[in-house]
Amino acid sequence: MWGRNTRREFLGAMGTAAAFGTTGFVQQGTVNVGMVYATGGLGDNSFNDMAHEGVQQAAEEYDVEFQNSEPSSPSDVGSLQRRFAQSGNYDLICCIGFVQQDALSENAQRFGDQRFMVVDTVVEQPNVASYRFREHQGSFQVGHLAGLLTTMEFSAGAGETNEAPTVGFVGGQEVPLIARFEAGYVAGVRHANPDVEVLSAYAGSFSDPAQGQSIANSMYDNGADIIYHAAGGTGNGVFRAAQSTGRFAIGVDADQSQSIPEYSDVILASMVKRVDQAVFESVESVVNGEFAGGSVNELGLEQNGVEAVYGQDLGPEIPEDVKSALEQSHEAIVAGDIEVPTDPANVGEGEGATTTTNQ
Amino acid sequence: MSIADSRRGRWIAALLVLLGIVVALELFAGVLGVLVDIVDANYLRAVLRLTVPIAFAALGGIFAEKSGVINIGLEGLLIISAFTSIAVAGLLGGGDATQAELWIGFGSAVLASVLFALLFAVVCIEFKADQIIAGLAVWLIALGLAPFASKVIWGQVNSPPIATLNNWTLRIPTTDVVLFDASPPVFMMLISVPVAWYALNRTAFGRWIEASGENPKALDTVGVDVRKVRYTGVLLSGFFSGLGGAGLALGRVGQFIGGGTTMVNGRGWIGITAYLFGNYNPLGAFGASFLFASLDALQIRLQQLGYNVPSELIGIIPYVTVVVVLAFVGRTRLPSAAGDHYESGEE
Repeated sequence: MWGRNTRREFLGAMGTAAAFGTTGFVQQGTVNVGMVYATGGLGDNSFNDMAHEGVQQAAEEYDVEFQNSEPSSPSDVGSLQRRFAQSGNYDLICCIGFVQQDALSENAQRFGDQRFMVVDTVVEQPNVASYRFREHQGSFQVGHLAGLLTTMEFSAGAGETNEAPTVGFVGGQEVPLIARFEAGYVAGVRHANPDVEVLSAYAGSFSDPAQGQSIANSMYDNGADIIYHAAGGTGNGVFRAAQSTGRFAIGVDADQSQSIPEYSDVILASMVKRVDQAVFESVESVVNGEFAGGSVNELGLEQNGVEAVYGQDLGPEIPEDVKSALEQSHEAIVAGDIEVPTDPANVGEGEGATTTTNQ
Repeated sequence: MSIADSRRGRWIAALLVLLGIVVALELFAGVLGVLVDIVDANYLRAVLRLTVPIAFAALGGIFAEKSGVINIGLEGLLIISAFTSIAVAGLLGGGDATQAELWIGFGSAVLASVLFALLFAVVCIEFKADQIIAGLAVWLIALGLAPFASKVIWGQVNSPPIATLNNWTLRIPTTDVVLFDASPPVFMMLISVPVAWYALNRTAFGRWIEASGENPKALDTVGVDVRKVRYTGVLLSGFFSGLGGAGLALGRVGQFIGGGTTMVNGRGWIGITAYLFGNYNPLGAFGASFLFASLDALQIRLQQLGYNVPSELIGIIPYVTVVVVLAFVGRTRLPSAAGDHYESGEE
């Protein structure tokens, strides 16, 4: 598994050795990339798979080879990083997910000549390029969508909206990262209609679909007709609940109407994080000798780092005026006319709407 | 003896009352489903569904531990059966497996869990391994094996979604009045709990199980094979955990999630605390499971009402309860010979 072509690896190692200390060095020959995924593992239909796509794309376009490694628990992350770094064969080690932060802070110092990139968090080291997403902006968009649709009569696929202007949010663990999703979503809903009630709850886990289903069921019972999840595998339970109650859900990270087509009849849209884009860009920067260690890249709506992608089945059924309203708020966010909060505590009644100037 | 009897009597009375309230509420909600607040019926239904894997794990744990073999691998057995049920049903029928295929998956899952428990029993009884370590091994193996097998089958740790078991509906004969409508594992649980209680308290087998855990030598002396009794106890723990894991996966979720702590997410551990809290009584264990599940469901509701109760805090309630019960109430007493090996003809 580790290294199928020793000569290439050797050349790669030579390349790396030559690159030490000479930033701006254009990579000769194959660029070797080590991938350390987040704990959800490949096949999560979202986050890790997107990162995998990004590096695959880089391998198609450039002379890039990569090696995957998946931690079985958060404590494995550090040793996987070290294994790649110690071998000295890798031009770039991609660390996917905020779970990598602590281990990477340590390893980046220890292996000062090794290039790292990290997604979803910031590690302030001269040899680490950090990529962070403005999830709150993308979440604002899907919140806007949910807020508009819940106030109208809408029926498509296996779902329909009800009378009550109520929507829901299901988070995985209550960490600042996921709170950003909630804050943006709630602000988006309020922007659409300040009278819409938002029910929020956290499952406490990213891999407990039964809990996700319980939460979603209780939200649907209490009048919610659209639920947005930022809960990984737990979110599968939200989709199941949507299907069994004939309501809607909004996916996260990847276009989940495509990655889990079984649920595409209830997935209105997905808040897509272009993790593939971040990984691709970082690999590209190494290939072109433009790797910027110590940089923090914020990928928001403007950079297409996050976006609301309509579900492949339900997308065409969403009314045009809703879509154009979303385009307007998209522009307003990019232009800075709408300031999207990152902390749920800062989302006042209709606050998302008060700073709006696109009337 | 009479003190023990009266204490047990009080326990049973309290638990019967609790069970009575549950059943009455459920019947009430069912019969007057249209009239009463629908939300309450849904709440109770949600709680019963959440109770299933916990209560089954607890029932299994009781049989194993009462017979003298502490099985802390229940969590692992739940994982194995949850995985097997989805794997078999999914391989047979794909995304839209028929009910028959789902039931084959269900049966295979119970079988897989029993086989795993057999392995554990052999290690503990034949090879005299430390039961706690062997139990931990069961959990750790399951935690690694199930996601690994998922990758082999589906190329990823999570399975694609498949169908779930249809609900069973209990009607008043010749009318359309629905008494009780729930997924099959809920029915199985409501039947298993009293049956397990009866088996333990009113049959010869129950006395053997008790003796095997309290005083195996006495049992041996009267000519009952302690090994056989203990094997049965452990296999029953596999059987019940199998029902719990398959019930979670096929009765509800219709998918296997293998990331992190897997979709079982500690329910087997809570099952252990439930039977300790319930003092090795199936009814008590069910009551405790129901209590933990209802706290969880309540927490979900409270969060939505804007009371920010951290779910992590609710998550530790079962463990805190058990520490409090074990340390201060002192009613729970481990079977005397639990954890000890027994060799016929020793001394």
